[in-house]
Amino acid sequence: MTSRMENKGPYFIDFPARIKSIQAEMARQKIDVYLGSRLRTLSWTLDAFCPWRSFVVIPAGGMPAAFSFVIDAARIADETWIDDDRVFGFAPMGGQDQIELISDFIKEQLKGGRGRVGIESGMSNYLPEGWLTHYEYERYAAALDGCELVNAHTIVDALSIVKDQGTINRFREASRIVDVGHGAVFDAIKDGGWKGMTETEIAGIAALAMRREGSEWEWSFTGGNEIAAGYRTGLTGGACTPATRKKLEAGEPLMVDIHAMFMLGLGDHSHNYLLAPATDRQFWHAKNFTDIVALTLKTYRPGITPSRLADEMMAFAEERGFSDYMVPGFEHGIGMMGDEWRIGLNDGPFPYWTNPDHVYRENEVLICAMQYACQEDNIGFRYENPIVITKDGCEEMSKYPLGIEEVR
Amino acid sequence: MSQTVKYLSPQWRDEAEKRLKSELSPEKMNNITSSMSNIYNNCPDGKNRYLFFKFEDGNFAELSIGEGEPPKAEFRISGDYQVFAKISRAELGSQKALMTGRLKLKGNMIKALKLASIADRLNKVLSKIPAEY
Repeated sequence: MTSRMENKGPYFIDFPARIKSIQAEMARQKIDVYLGSRLRTLSWTLDAFCPWRSFVVIPAGGMPAAFSFVIDAARIADETWIDDDRVFGFAPMGGQDQIELISDFIKEQLKGGRGRVGIESGMSNYLPEGWLTHYEYERYAAALDGCELVNAHTIVDALSIVKDQGTINRFREASRIVDVGHGAVFDAIKDGGWKGMTETEIAGIAALAMRREGSEWEWSFTGGNEIAAGYRTGLTGGACTPATRKKLEAGEPLMVDIHAMFMLGLGDHSHNYLLAPATDRQFWHAKNFTDIVALTLKTYRPGITPSRLADEMMAFAEERGFSDYMVPGFEHGIGMMGDEWRIGLNDGPFPYWTNPDHVYRENEVLICAMQYACQEDNIGFRYENPIVITKDGCEEMSKYPLGIEEVR
Repeated sequence: MSQTVKYLSPQWRDEAEKRLKSELSPEKMNNITSSMSNIYNNCPDGKNRYLFFKFEDGNFAELSIGEGEPPKAEFRISGDYQVFAKISRAELGSQKALMTGRLKLKGNMIKALKLASIADRLNKVLSKIPAEY
């Protein structure tokens, strides 16, 4: 994770321009300082991975400042594009705890120590989102006496929906790495190689291959590489399968959902197999799934909405007789590390869930994601692939061929 | 020197300067360039005082004592006079004083961590000055 050195060529992102765009919006909304705490905001503004509690303070003008747990602050300073003297570590010491350190810094940015401070408050199904906690809010509100704290996360959300070329290229490279991981898994399981293997071993084989290609980690909070075999593939609605010690068995389905990270760009692709001998019923399920995936990929384009796409795909599934096995959702949001939840803005009928009427635009990136589960047959499949909406369709970033092969 | 001097008096300052210059070579100071203000609140006479240190490329450059606002420094450590006095008498560790909130540090913690051992060396020199508090 040495993005300061690598932020160039096809992976270049103009971070100072991002900060200026935030500051312009802050000015429009009369916000004097923005206090970001979400992982997605930290990645998007700092170009550094911040796994410990961290904050970014964006003043009305000039360079932001980063604050993190002291054990990791020097590494962040080494990797982020912002100057060393704008990165601070907080620690349990007089004057150095995060509330005092950051609130003092914020006050220094404000005329007379007063003004409007934007914060990030909300909710998510993604646990490491990083919203300001109730306790932090109360402490900052007390420490920033004379300031008004206002919820402002929509500023970053709105600016980060449509991806720039550097971000898209980082996702492309992460996807290329994932494809290498899938190749390594196939090489390991083919010709009887799967016999005696466990789900965790498959996860590790993929991880090693991807790390060799430069992946920084198997970033998903769902347990890194998600591997499921047998009945675990068919758990109803089950789109979360951290690998277990379950051994692979003949006649079972195998779901391989692996993740790579490249410069905070995220690779996420799921491929499925049938461990021989496969039955006709299993092949029927497999064809249903690959057909609906292919159709979904053909259907994504600017102007379409999640609800319209779901309607069209579920109609197809109904016509083919497998709608009972489809989870009626075909995507999840994605962005630089930490952004793995809803599509678009918080403007839908249910707060902080994807707006079903969100209209896709060119250069939005999302995960085309589908889950098929038939619990009575102990079978299920998952498809995930980062896609970028193009002028008249979508580009699949993972190029691993779509298919559900029988592995002997 | 066996005669005691009053802590933070002009005599104490002169003795501190002499000892810092003779005992802390630029190499021992890791050739740092930095500055630090200690702010002593509630001195025995009720006043607040500061002790300001400055090093350039490891060389001792400035040491001053005064009342009121200290010169601008990279690090600012503030606390009660009695807390500093306890540290100088080796009755209290500076780390513990910071970690219990009896001293407050202002400045970049990342750099402060790099300078912690140097600060200890400096404190050790100052603690050897026979002083009355």
